[in-house]
Amino acid sequence: MRRSRCVAAALMLIVLASTAASLSSPAGAAARGKLVLAWHAGLASRWLDPQEHDGTATPDNFFTAIHDGLIKNQGTALFDHPALAEKFTVAPDAKSATFTLRKGIKFHNGEPVTPQDVKFSYENYRGAKADVFKKKTERVEIVDDRTIRFHFKEPFLDFAILFGTANVAAPGWVVPEKYYKQVGADGFKQKPVGAGPYRLVRHEPGVKLEMEAFDGYYRPVNVKQLVMTSVPEGATRVAMLERGEADIIYSVPGELVSRVQKLPGVTLAPVLSGSWFLEFPGFQDPKSPFRDKRVREAVSLAIDRRAMNQAESAGFGKVSGNWINNDVQYALEWPEIERNVERAKQLLREAGYPNGFDVDWVTPLPAWYSRGERLIGQLREVGIRARMQTMERGVFFQRLQGGIKEWPGVQIIFHGIRIAGSWSFWYEAHVKCGGFNSRDRLCIKELDAKFEQYERSINPAERKKLAEEIQRAILEKHYLVPVFRHAFVNAIGPRVAAQKWQDVFPTITTGYAYPWEDIKLKEQ
Amino acid sequence: MWQFIVRRLLYSIVTLLILSATIFVIVRLTGDPVSLLAEAGARPEDLERIHRQWGLDRSWPVQYVSFLQNIVTGDLGKSFNYRLPVSELYFQRLPNSLTLGLVATLISILVGVPAGIISAVKVNTWWDTLAKGVALLGLSIPGFWLGLVLILVFSVWLRWLPTSGAGDWRHVVMPSLALGWYFAASMLRLTRSSMLEVLGSEYIKLARLKGLPDVVVIAMHAFKNALIPVFTLAGVNMVVMVNAAVIIEVIFAWPGIGRLLYEGIFNRDFPLVQGVVVMAGFMIVGINLIVDILYAFIDPRIRLTR
Amino acid sequence: MTTHADSPHGAERPSARTTHADSPHGAERPSARTTIATHGPLGPGRAATGVRAVIEAAREAPLVPVAILGGLMLVAILADLIAPHDPTLPVKGANVFDPPFWMEGGRTTTLLGTDFQGRDVLSRLIHGARVSLIVGLMGTLVAGGIGTAMGILSGYVGRWVDQVIMRVTDAWLALPALVFAIFLATMVGPSMWNIVFVLGAVYWTRYARVIRGEVLTLREREFVKLAEIAGASKLRVIKRHILPNVMNTATVLASLTIGVVIIAEASLSFLGVGVPPPQPAWGLMLAEARPTLMAGQWWLTVFPGLCILLIVLATQLFGDWLRVRLDPQLRNL
Repeated sequence: MRRSRCVAAALMLIVLASTAASLSSPAGAAARGKLVLAWHAGLASRWLDPQEHDGTATPDNFFTAIHDGLIKNQGTALFDHPALAEKFTVAPDAKSATFTLRKGIKFHNGEPVTPQDVKFSYENYRGAKADVFKKKTERVEIVDDRTIRFHFKEPFLDFAILFGTANVAAPGWVVPEKYYKQVGADGFKQKPVGAGPYRLVRHEPGVKLEMEAFDGYYRPVNVKQLVMTSVPEGATRVAMLERGEADIIYSVPGELVSRVQKLPGVTLAPVLSGSWFLEFPGFQDPKSPFRDKRVREAVSLAIDRRAMNQAESAGFGKVSGNWINNDVQYALEWPEIERNVERAKQLLREAGYPNGFDVDWVTPLPAWYSRGERLIGQLREVGIRARMQTMERGVFFQRLQGGIKEWPGVQIIFHGIRIAGSWSFWYEAHVKCGGFNSRDRLCIKELDAKFEQYERSINPAERKKLAEEIQRAILEKHYLVPVFRHAFVNAIGPRVAAQKWQDVFPTITTGYAYPWEDIKLKEQ
Repeated sequence: MWQFIVRRLLYSIVTLLILSATIFVIVRLTGDPVSLLAEAGARPEDLERIHRQWGLDRSWPVQYVSFLQNIVTGDLGKSFNYRLPVSELYFQRLPNSLTLGLVATLISILVGVPAGIISAVKVNTWWDTLAKGVALLGLSIPGFWLGLVLILVFSVWLRWLPTSGAGDWRHVVMPSLALGWYFAASMLRLTRSSMLEVLGSEYIKLARLKGLPDVVVIAMHAFKNALIPVFTLAGVNMVVMVNAAVIIEVIFAWPGIGRLLYEGIFNRDFPLVQGVVVMAGFMIVGINLIVDILYAFIDPRIRLTR
Repeated sequence: MTTHADSPHGAERPSARTTHADSPHGAERPSARTTIATHGPLGPGRAATGVRAVIEAAREAPLVPVAILGGLMLVAILADLIAPHDPTLPVKGANVFDPPFWMEGGRTTTLLGTDFQGRDVLSRLIHGARVSLIVGLMGTLVAGGIGTAMGILSGYVGRWVDQVIMRVTDAWLALPALVFAIFLATMVGPSMWNIVFVLGAVYWTRYARVIRGEVLTLREREFVKLAEIAGASKLRVIKRHILPNVMNTATVLASLTIGVVIIAEASLSFLGVGVPPPQPAWGLMLAEARPTLMAGQWWLTVFPGLCILLIVLATQLFGDWLRVRLDPQLRNL
């Protein structure tokens, strides 16, 4: 009898212990089921490594699953939601920022996340905007076993935004120092280890990522298995959705939107995404018709933005007056530009083009040719005759970076891009002299001078004022002509629990589904 | 015989050298991959660093020699996009492509050859016309169209088969059908004309005169001779299918070599494209070599040719 | 795919196979069919028989394929006149995705419906005939021209020139055709004439092999040897004796590859490196309309598909007839 009592006691202890254990790891207990995402492009391995963020708005789809950052975008916070850090402060003089890590956070390999790892991740970061961080940082101080402080050479007002916006830069996304050094950057991209809600279980490069809920995550993870598979063909993705092979699909082709809408239990998720606008390379050349502000304005007035939105995004996009998205810091709100064919023609007459003129090429971002064709059709109505130039994607970017010599004659470039964080990133990329996309094509001295002032300034009020002045100048002088913001149309399958699509695609800094740990399946 | 084999071997090596040089040059002529590799905001120094990292700052001849040296040791370079050795990526995907190619070839044989035989035996009857009509359909329908129709009918409407990806036998059916369809048509034509030729030969006429029933004539005599070229074609086609079924693989999200190549081209992933094409070249040149040698065994006269 | 011109199994898509005097399939057997203009071994001084054969054969041309091809060519030439609308602009008064006129929602102004931009499908098909025919015919011509030239050079001049050309041909054949085409299109940019060039550059190798085999055979013929002994220059021999005789083979091959070339254009368009929009081409129309297969707008893929079918049918039938006509021994091509 004594023995059986011992056994009973032992059993009870075991039960208690395991209950305690499962309660202490909220993720492991509740995670059930499998979610499949049909990704619309290839799967580049560099997207699994925050240290080599390529500056596009793409990798954060994967970061948010496998990795985690000190602060990031979540819920209503655009960049400063505390994630791995439970709190952070920026000094009033903006010359330092202090982060306190949560207790008990771990990497997928069981190692704890330490300030040393944070320091390594920051100092070793080689991705987009690394030069900015390196230039401005004086040193990284480990204050104690949970606190880390970044010291800057001068007031670094944009630090928090840059640090916390995952689709712009990622030095705050922590990787394990020991493991990273052990496997090397290339090895890390095959078998990444992070501190995020999911750990990578199987990696078929370019084909599929299979992930499993990490039970050491500090938040509960709902779905146990997360699979991201690369399916480049739009019609196939839709077929997968219909057949239940995929629970979330990205990028529904325009022609199939109405079909998808009619599927039982399926919710369309038209996320507002990239901004589309026109650039006039060579507009400062005295021979170019675009040197005259009135001609540029005429182009702007000739565009039927509503029709473009309707045709290209099934009306889910947005027609706004500014080429910069309104979800970034200091973005200027600008009224929608109404189409006015008569006024456009009048302006052209005043500028000396009563019969319009010829444009050599209109080049849309490949392969978005249908909107290029629509634009050309719309311009034709005011007498501007153009042809569309198609080229392969790689060639397009090469030409952009080649500068003005790659765009001879009378041309219009129809850009489409999405940049988060701050208006200044837009300016830097597309207007500033030497910018990654603008190179030597704009180089507007007064504006660049003001921008320099903006960057040097440490007064938020002054910065805002300068930001708005610059944007106003661009819009009033039509250096860049906004067209519309298109919608990245995704679809949520019937198995996913979502009252409205924003439950799965919540914010405006990223067009992808997240946070992955919060997505639920209906049976749960 | 040995002379013949050695000569053919030498030819194959020269061919491979030319192939590797061609792909080397072509890939570099499509432009600088670094602008696609670098992140937005990269400065000229960053681009230079990447150039150096990947050895792209060296002159082309130097790069080419280094490329050849590496091939000999089995190193096909490292993919820019995947950061993995190209050989690893290639062999990872090879089984999938082999599966697809094999099944597609089987389909093309099982459909094309019997249809071609029937068509030849019953030449100019409506069987023949039907077969020729089917062949025509096969030759004039692009693979991507057929693939999408198959997905629509069998996956979405009938729900019998999964839409895409690799997995069990059910995943292979549609892609290999879409891939093999065209080759079935060309098999049909070749079988038909080959059979017709043999059936018209003196040898067969003699057999018929002897009073042997048609079936025997066909099965025992015509068959063998007519089908040698057919199976040769099948073998070569399969190798081509394995390496270049780009469109089918894209539509069906099939994790094969064709898709690898396609992405490599558009991402300007030089090492990947070079490596895959060289491997594909190896296979194609290799199988031709084997076929030539086999033929030389069968027909001694060939050993004397140049 | 590599085929050695001096091996008897040299078969390739679509079934182009050479039979030679030294092959086990006995190309020397007498032709049992009576034809008005038989190819056969040419005697001296009758070098033009090859061409004459074609002309005389044309008198007995098969009705169906010629009618189809002729009709298509007519349509292509008169496209601007016959097409009801501008193929690159949306039709005023019509919507996007209008069905053909006999269905509900269709209009008689857009007989075969409209596409995703509201453009008239019929007009696009008509103008597309021009592009597809140019791409198909010119692409084949370029391929055939280069290939024949290479084949003749290789076969007739011989020795090291032959070796070099054959190795290069082998290497190019080992390059998957589509891949090669993608590269070239990326390099030189997308335009209709560039696609012609691309397809020519990819498919010439098919011709070179076959023609070379022919030339090798011809070289041993008496009349050629006689001409050489008589002191005729290589060029003259080629012009008067070799070229006319290989034209038959080349023509037959050409008729068979037109279909392949047109389909290749469709494949290139699928991959985004074909004829650039908004120019209408049947292959491009098929590729652009892929998603509509599932969306139910069947007319956007069925009609271009039928057109492609038509032209492939016509060229195949014509090629078959031509082959049988010109030389029964070429039956195996």
